[in-house]
Amino acid sequence: MNRYAIDVSHVRDRASATLEAKPGRARAADPKPAARRRPAKDAALRDEQLWFARAVMSPDSGEASSLEGEAAERLTASARMGAFDRLDVYRRGYATRLVECLVDDYPVLCHALGEDRFDELCRAYILAHPSDGPNLNFFGRHMAAFCRAEAPEPFPERAFAADLATLEWTIVEVIHAPASDPLTAEGLRDVPMEAWAGARLVANTASKLLAFDYPVNAYFQTVRTDGDPSLPSPLPSATVVYRSGPSVWRMDLTVPMFEVLRSLFGRETLETALSRGHAALGDLDETQAAQRVLAWFREWVSSGLFAGVELG
Amino acid sequence: MSNRFGLPNLGVGIGLRTAHYGRILETRPEVDWFEILSENFMQTAGRPLYFLDAVADRYPVAMHGVSLSIGSTDPIDRAYLTELRALRDRTRAKWVSDHLCWTGVAGRNTHDLLPMPYTEEALRHVVARVRHVQDFLGAPLALENPSTYVEFSSSSMPEWEFLARVAEEADCALLLDVNNVYVSAFNHGFDPQAYFAAVPFDRVVQLHVAGHTRHETHIVDTHIGPVEDHVWRLLGDAWQRTGGVSVLLEWDAEIPSFEETHGEALKAKSFMARAA
Repeated sequence: MNRYAIDVSHVRDRASATLEAKPGRARAADPKPAARRRPAKDAALRDEQLWFARAVMSPDSGEASSLEGEAAERLTASARMGAFDRLDVYRRGYATRLVECLVDDYPVLCHALGEDRFDELCRAYILAHPSDGPNLNFFGRHMAAFCRAEAPEPFPERAFAADLATLEWTIVEVIHAPASDPLTAEGLRDVPMEAWAGARLVANTASKLLAFDYPVNAYFQTVRTDGDPSLPSPLPSATVVYRSGPSVWRMDLTVPMFEVLRSLFGRETLETALSRGHAALGDLDETQAAQRVLAWFREWVSSGLFAGVELG
Repeated sequence: MSNRFGLPNLGVGIGLRTAHYGRILETRPEVDWFEILSENFMQTAGRPLYFLDAVADRYPVAMHGVSLSIGSTDPIDRAYLTELRALRDRTRAKWVSDHLCWTGVAGRNTHDLLPMPYTEEALRHVVARVRHVQDFLGAPLALENPSTYVEFSSSSMPEWEFLARVAEEADCALLLDVNNVYVSAFNHGFDPQAYFAAVPFDRVVQLHVAGHTRHETHIVDTHIGPVEDHVWRLLGDAWQRTGGVSVLLEWDAEIPSFEETHGEALKAKSFMARAA
């Protein structure tokens, strides 16, 4: 089975520095209307903040001219800059910061679409899904669904991009997921022979099983090893993403492997999983199929994909 | 003078960044202390904590946040505070800091350090919230002066007066970022010495230095590149006024090797010695 690691530097730090934008890029997203009744004592401060946030988060187009007048009233000019130009430092930084976050989370999707198209995609995403929490770790969580159903046309790579975003977001989820203590070969030896057929395995919380319409893990790996592959044609594929200690791994799965692992992750009994493996390995007899599945099973256990075993 | 909170002088440290994790954990270099970015280790139960625990076991750490949003008129996020306190307890952080700013309003977060209008209303608002946060943490909060690029027409006092009054009235600590003083001084045309003259240095528990990016019309606090001599000299001045507190270099863009980053931080010692 092919296994690939994700480098630790995959996730960039979220720092307190001010970001500078590339020129000529648009902004996104008005803050949503105030949902709570405010005490009157904060009214002026609230008003200043609602205006400033709208000015920072609103797209360039259509807003700039009215903002110039408002900025001149609410902000002061410096000896070198007018009020609106000073405001623009914040306006330029807003989307740039969030786009950088999405580049961190989706480096291969960025590669696939090219920087400019990925930038456009991100700015549309920011407009549709502005950040609503204190932490950027999960800001990009809607990207796969956004690619599949919301991203504006033209988007000829839509289905491939959605699959690739699913893989990349799963890596982020696995990075941040709690890890269970893995089930070991020693732990398995404690299971009585007669209990095996009805036993069910518990998947490690830091492991995710994925099925795709495109071979996105192969594409991902080629890009990560400095290749520049053309976008692939549809071809069903499956991958399991899991963490072992600090390392995140991706393991390719054949269709029979996927069927067995999906059965096990779905808490079906080992007997049922084995029968699914046999069915998927149609050209092998029962004994050969059992031996094949057992070999996979050993590999999965040693990789830490399971956290425990429940006896029927 | 030493800080009134009795917080330790940890020496000269650097910001903990993922680019250096491998080097730090493999070779355990001699570093006085690390500052961690709080939010990098919140809303996660995975790999970031694996590295953090290893660092916190070997080095003193302090926590530096970017999302407390102490100046926002949105309600304080209690879930955020709860997680912040748990992280402080997990790492045995010497103190918790964040910025005198707001990051969002009406449920949206810009993830930027947005400027406050320096008004009496804003002052009362921030003081009440700092007191609330300190009560929750059971420890002083260190507030950092941010770099700013605008000033509100409604402001009725300069930034340094606002900062000093917040510190005094909320009885909180300060993290004085001398690069931010320099950046804001250039952007708004004030004298950094006027700023220093107003700062209650007995409340300063930490100093920040960083690089910045200079434009014709303004300076941006990018945390990139080596620290300029103007900023090092301000550091020496501020350090002397504190009587000796923890110093930390922030380097967040085009981050060089661990050795180069740490070497840049250690330049602080010569400016501290000259000031002393």
